[in-house]
Amino acid sequence: MTIAIFLCLWGSFASYGSESDFQQQNRDPYQVSIQFTRFAGALSSIPEGAGVGYITDAPPGSGADTGMFLSAQYVMAPRLLKRGAAQEWVLGNFSHPADFDLVGRSQGLRLQQDFGEGVVLFRKVK
Amino acid sequence: MTGLIWIVEAILLGCLLVNRFAGLSAVRPAWARWSLIFGAGAAVGIGLSSVLFFLFSTLLGMRAVALGFEVAILAWAGYEAFRRRAPAPQPAEERPAPLLIFVAAIGLLLALALATAAIATSWDANPQGDWDAWAIWNLRARFLASSGALAQRAWSPVLGASTHAEYPLLLSSFVARCWAFSHSFSTVVPAATSYVFFLALIALVAGGMAALRGPTLGMLAALVLASTPALLHQVPNQYADVPLACYFAGAIVFALLDRPILAGIFAGCAAWTKDEGVLFLVVLLVITAAWKRRTAVATLAGAAPAAALAIVFKTWLARGNAGLLSTSLPGAGKRLADAGRYGATMAAFGREFAHMGVGWYHPILPVIALAVVLRFDRERRRDAAYCAALAGFLLLGNFGVYILTNNDLAWQLHTSLNRVLLQIWPALVLAAFVGLRKPKAAVVVKPAMPAAKLRRKARA
Repeated sequence: MTIAIFLCLWGSFASYGSESDFQQQNRDPYQVSIQFTRFAGALSSIPEGAGVGYITDAPPGSGADTGMFLSAQYVMAPRLLKRGAAQEWVLGNFSHPADFDLVGRSQGLRLQQDFGEGVVLFRKVK
Repeated sequence: MTGLIWIVEAILLGCLLVNRFAGLSAVRPAWARWSLIFGAGAAVGIGLSSVLFFLFSTLLGMRAVALGFEVAILAWAGYEAFRRRAPAPQPAEERPAPLLIFVAAIGLLLALALATAAIATSWDANPQGDWDAWAIWNLRARFLASSGALAQRAWSPVLGASTHAEYPLLLSSFVARCWAFSHSFSTVVPAATSYVFFLALIALVAGGMAALRGPTLGMLAALVLASTPALLHQVPNQYADVPLACYFAGAIVFALLDRPILAGIFAGCAAWTKDEGVLFLVVLLVITAAWKRRTAVATLAGAAPAAALAIVFKTWLARGNAGLLSTSLPGAGKRLADAGRYGATMAAFGREFAHMGVGWYHPILPVIALAVVLRFDRERRRDAAYCAALAGFLLLGNFGVYILTNNDLAWQLHTSLNRVLLQIWPALVLAAFVGLRKPKAAVVVKPAMPAAKLRRKARA
């Protein structure tokens, strides 16, 4: 039985070492914490009850696209993000610099505010 | 940080209710009783406050009533505990304490300290938890913490398949409750909730096994779990799998201790936590009806409130969201007849079980060592078979889900099987330990004998 206890303690020490290394090498791999800073301006500009459109430059269906959308949704909640530009408010979440005014106009949107770091707020052109 | 106060309040509420109603006063040794009260109290308190918040705040829009109702139950349970407090215990006869219990206790405390240190590294590195935490559980908690109709966005079909809006809401609702009551979206709340479920799991297994099979096996079973690398890796992820493992283990422990209502409450909470919990509830009820017929109705009665909430949620509130099984029905016959899927799934079960360890260590090693040294007790085979049947049917049910799923099988196995095995691992540990022979107290530490007592003994 002492062997069993020592085996367990071996497992505990091995787990501690393994988990410490893992966490050091995987600090916020999806950059979720930083999204609260990125989207701070959009959060204060869009009413909580709004349904918000969502456009991005990430390849549709890619891991980056899903990760960017879900982390944006996490930060923006309780605002409900809907992919596409059909809503009154549309949030742009871009990973590369671009002419966001042009991007918006191509989808029938007016650039409301560019918050920097690829976060842009559009409104539907009536 | 004020969110922590509401976690402590839920634990206190659960502990007082369990102490009042579970009939655990006869459980010996005393530490096993307190361990069971803490483990069950934490899990039941979290489950109860989650249900109350969902009913009153989310569905009826009466957050103040949810808070008031909870505080009223707490006040009543506290008064009852004070009113019914036991008289001062008579000094117990001093009995020799086996050295092995001390060694196992020190080992368990050391393992828990190392586990906490390992988990704490993640609290710093990944305070938001891993993918499913912010894409499913805590995301839905953020909706539920909102007031009015916004809370019902937690199961909106707009959230999409990645957020699994059809999943039950015990964990999200509890986190939302703490956030709402504390007026803060602190990352401490989901992290601490996951850690509390881990401690509750260890406490339930330690206390339950000590009550059933003696303190040494209780300590050792808890030690095996506290040093399971796959479990320690999951705690800081803030997923629903550790809570689910806790509810599974609690249901089994209280079924073995002949507390069927409490076993049912745990199974009901499992169904309100995650879809696998619904499978567990069905398996538990069927196995209990077959093995322990006289307790089946009481188990069902205990499970009914939370299970009913889970059923109402899935069939009515979240009916716009397709679940894994309903999306898997088209083409199911073809997949069932595909022999390759069975081979791939079996191989994945073996591979993921092997990956529950780290380096050369696997948590099955201490269990094998104990089985070789102690061997199995024939008189306990009924309890061992009960636990093994539960774990076996859970494994079989999950195996069937993988065969049926419409999702890419390799992706499904890769992203979920390690957590499915983790949910069932405590049940397997319980099955093994409940069947082991009790270790003989060969080495004992005798308390120092007073000189007067020594003289009396010499005269005799």
